[in-house]
Amino acid sequence: MASVLKRRGRIQLRLDSQERSALLDILGRLETHISRALATTPRAYDDHVMQGEYDRWVRPEIERGYEADLGVIRGALGAGDELLVLTEGQAYAWLRGFNQLRLAAGSLLGISDDGWEAAASNQLRARPEFGMLMALGWLQEELVAALES
Amino acid sequence: MATATPVPVEAPTREERVVREPGWNVIVWNDPITLMSYVVLVFRKLFGHDHATATKLMLQVHEEGKAIVATQPREQAEVSVARLHAFGLQATLARL
Repeated sequence: MASVLKRRGRIQLRLDSQERSALLDILGRLETHISRALATTPRAYDDHVMQGEYDRWVRPEIERGYEADLGVIRGALGAGDELLVLTEGQAYAWLRGFNQLRLAAGSLLGISDDGWEAAASNQLRARPEFGMLMALGWLQEELVAALES
Repeated sequence: MATATPVPVEAPTREERVVREPGWNVIVWNDPITLMSYVVLVFRKLFGHDHATATKLMLQVHEEGKAIVATQPREQAEVSVARLHAFGLQATLARL
């Protein structure tokens, strides 16, 4: 089973080949839906002129950052090593990437309110995106705990 | 040689106004997907809060739907919002 530890200032993530393959599959399935989740993100400004400037100058850089974060994850998973040693910066890239993937999964599942875990129907739980959401959430919690330790 | 007698001169009065831009609030909004522990970590990283302050702000977001996490000049506030967006948090700016 996957494990995450902090040792000598670095994050050690142990994932067997099945787990790495499953994560790559999740990444491939959800990343195309990230834009859908972004569409529901609130605007930075109420003022449409200021928002236009933000969209023009700031937003593209943020979106390039999302792609770079997913690239960091994909690169590490694709290297074929069971033990992945991440710098703090790489661990944050994983966290940001996982968050985008979780937001995409949540959007696909139509989740819009708190308490969805307890209220989820069996039908919702049976959907693959639900499992992806939970698996990514577990890994994200472990990464946060390792960074906080 | 005539010696000029110094005459005190009043310094010209000039109305000086320091124009201070009103601050901008950086607001983070609740979303049902993002993990609470992740939000606390992001607040700590971006704003340098201790764990207790970051947790208090996160709970305010969760329970009240939003929280003001910083009040800054516009450019700085925009950078803060952009960094929050980069972490996937829902954030907006509002003029004070």
